[in-house]
Amino acid sequence: MNPYTGTNFFTFFTTLIGRLFSFSAPLFPDEIQLIVLVGVSLSCALVGVWLTLRKMAMLANALSHTILLGIAIAFLLWRQLEGLEASFQMPLPYLFGAAVLTGVVTTLLTTLLHKQGGVQEEASIGIVFTTLFALGILLINLTARNAHIGIEAVMGNVDALTFDDVKIALPIMGLNILILTLFHKELLLSTFDSSYAKALGYSGHFITYGLMTLISLTVVSAFRSVGVIMVLALLTIPPTIGRLLTHSLKKMVLLSALVGILISLFSVALSRHLLTEFGLPLSTGGLLVALLSCAFALTCLYRLGARQKKMRSPHRLKQPH
Amino acid sequence: MFDILSYFTDPVLRGPTIGSILMCVTSSIMGVIVYLQKRALVGETLSHAAYPGVIVGLLCSVSLFHFEEANPLLALFGGAITGSLALYLLTVLTKRFRIKSDSALCIVLASFFGIGILLISMVQLTHGGLYKQAEGYLFGQAATMGDIHITLYFVLALIVALAVTLLYKELQLALFDANYAKILAIPSFSSIIFVLIVTSIVVGIRSVGVILMSAMLIAPAVSARQFVHKLSHLFWLSPLFGALSALLGNVFSYEITKALSQDRSGGKIVLPTGPTIVLVASSLCLLSLLFAPKRGLVSRLWRIASFRMTCAKENLLKYLWRHKSGSSEESLYTFLAINPLVLRPLLLYTRLQGWIEYKNGHYHLSKDGEAKAARIVRLHRLWEVYLVDYVGLGARSVHSSAEEMEHILTPELEYELTELLKDPMWDPHQQPIPPKGFLR
Repeated sequence: MNPYTGTNFFTFFTTLIGRLFSFSAPLFPDEIQLIVLVGVSLSCALVGVWLTLRKMAMLANALSHTILLGIAIAFLLWRQLEGLEASFQMPLPYLFGAAVLTGVVTTLLTTLLHKQGGVQEEASIGIVFTTLFALGILLINLTARNAHIGIEAVMGNVDALTFDDVKIALPIMGLNILILTLFHKELLLSTFDSSYAKALGYSGHFITYGLMTLISLTVVSAFRSVGVIMVLALLTIPPTIGRLLTHSLKKMVLLSALVGILISLFSVALSRHLLTEFGLPLSTGGLLVALLSCAFALTCLYRLGARQKKMRSPHRLKQPH
Repeated sequence: MFDILSYFTDPVLRGPTIGSILMCVTSSIMGVIVYLQKRALVGETLSHAAYPGVIVGLLCSVSLFHFEEANPLLALFGGAITGSLALYLLTVLTKRFRIKSDSALCIVLASFFGIGILLISMVQLTHGGLYKQAEGYLFGQAATMGDIHITLYFVLALIVALAVTLLYKELQLALFDANYAKILAIPSFSSIIFVLIVTSIVVGIRSVGVILMSAMLIAPAVSARQFVHKLSHLFWLSPLFGALSALLGNVFSYEITKALSQDRSGGKIVLPTGPTIVLVASSLCLLSLLFAPKRGLVSRLWRIASFRMTCAKENLLKYLWRHKSGSSEESLYTFLAINPLVLRPLLLYTRLQGWIEYKNGHYHLSKDGEAKAARIVRLHRLWEVYLVDYVGLGARSVHSSAEEMEHILTPELEYELTELLKDPMWDPHQQPIPPKGFLR
């Protein structure tokens, strides 16, 4: 029996802590959701920092759409090779291939259209991702004979998560942490002084492609839980909150990760709370994004207040420089 | 039996076809403006942001006003409200909080969409019937449009078209000289554009869907831009592309679905209209990016290739002109910096044209070829004289420039140069300049 049934927001956490210390298997659905969401939001928050700093957010938006085509192709291949029933719960190698392929192809096509076709950068992003997304939808509709699968990939469904999703989310989180720590210096250099990075021999293209691949892996790890579009909130909101509150990169990364983890904990607890108290089975992904935007709005208000306080402060004119 | 007219007369097909055409015309008119403002992805954010509004509109029409069915007008209205709110938030985030515009776009998009998904999960519980409809707005549901939608969209399309026509001059100013427009203080003009953009997007999401809507703003405008470079022409051509993609999208979706269901009975395979329209629009866009007469990639590459070919041909003739005793094929390969793959067909071509002859293993110029080569040498040396006499360069430094200009100078320019330089006999390197109309 699921010990979380009937818990509200606070007893959810006390139950969780109790379960943590008793350390008893197996995992219950709420715990699986918790682990997957925390893993996903940590990956997103870490890679999102670089995404927002390098002004690639809209490329990530494109990627989050085109990943559907990658997933659809991997799904077809998987079904062809192994002949299993229609579900997007694919093993890691297929997802990995889909992610890498989509990341590279999306970036390549966008650059090609922009540089060779002479289309504005934003417009070329727009054309590429809508086309590939439409192709993905058609492919799914024509082969899976189940239009709902497409909708599920867009909306995400936390309740359908199983232990297999933990086995996808956690390795990708580990990979994110590993790569971003290993290449921290290179990323830092090429983001803030791209000319110097080029002079030292770090190709900006290589880093962009690498980052895009990492993002598409992250999106792949997230699409079953929060859907391909709401992942964008996880990718952009925590880093922007960090950016609004601090000027130091280290603090920004830490804040971003903290916000991502806390909000995903809260969203699972809140979703359980709403179910217990009001009988409302709301989409946990939607709740997660709503909480994130609330946090973002609060940060904005805080900034506004801080700025006005600074403007009114009598010491304003005396500040050096 | 395929009959294109039936798409406009058949009571079942009429709704989706005409509805989508009207919607695509509306969005592609506004797409021109958005594209020229270089804010192509605003449409993406706004269409996603309209989604929660649409759901609230649907909910209101059922629970608040107790309509039998969900009212499309209320859904549009709700979408317009959240869309405008998103647009306002975008400006606040970028202006007041100095968040980079791409991050701001993403944040607003994902937040509104997430709230939409939250709402839809609520609707699923309380109004099961509405859930299907609300899902339909995700990928569009052209197939269920009826005559009421045609009337509604016709009115909205008319409003947008009228507004653009009446405000054409102001639009032109705001698009190409924003600062001047600001100085003239065209009152609340940008807000009118905003309203129009939101309107066109909200109209569009019914048939193409929230997620793919931005394609219908961008793709027709980009395709049209390949062919024309006048704003008024853009405003004509872009809706044309939009309407064409809507029509073809509907035709393909219907015909292929029909063909597939005949093929395999039982399995229900539907080619959804929205994504098909988007695919047609982006294929049209791709085709025009490749094959548009002036700006297309293929025509640009063709121009480059043919210019290179002309240069190679003229260099070959010049080389043979300098080596009057003829030249073997090997020495041509060695001394001309031309790719062998190009040189071989070039030799064949010039021989067929009768410009060069092949005798005893050596290539020679024919009479015609000599005249041609002489003209090139003449242009080369005339340009050198011009550079030395009029531009004041040293005689040593003019050769490389002349090496390029000889391929570019037209007969008119040659005439002008001859007049200006009084038909000189010698170039700065004391080489004779072949006279005009040279024939030996």
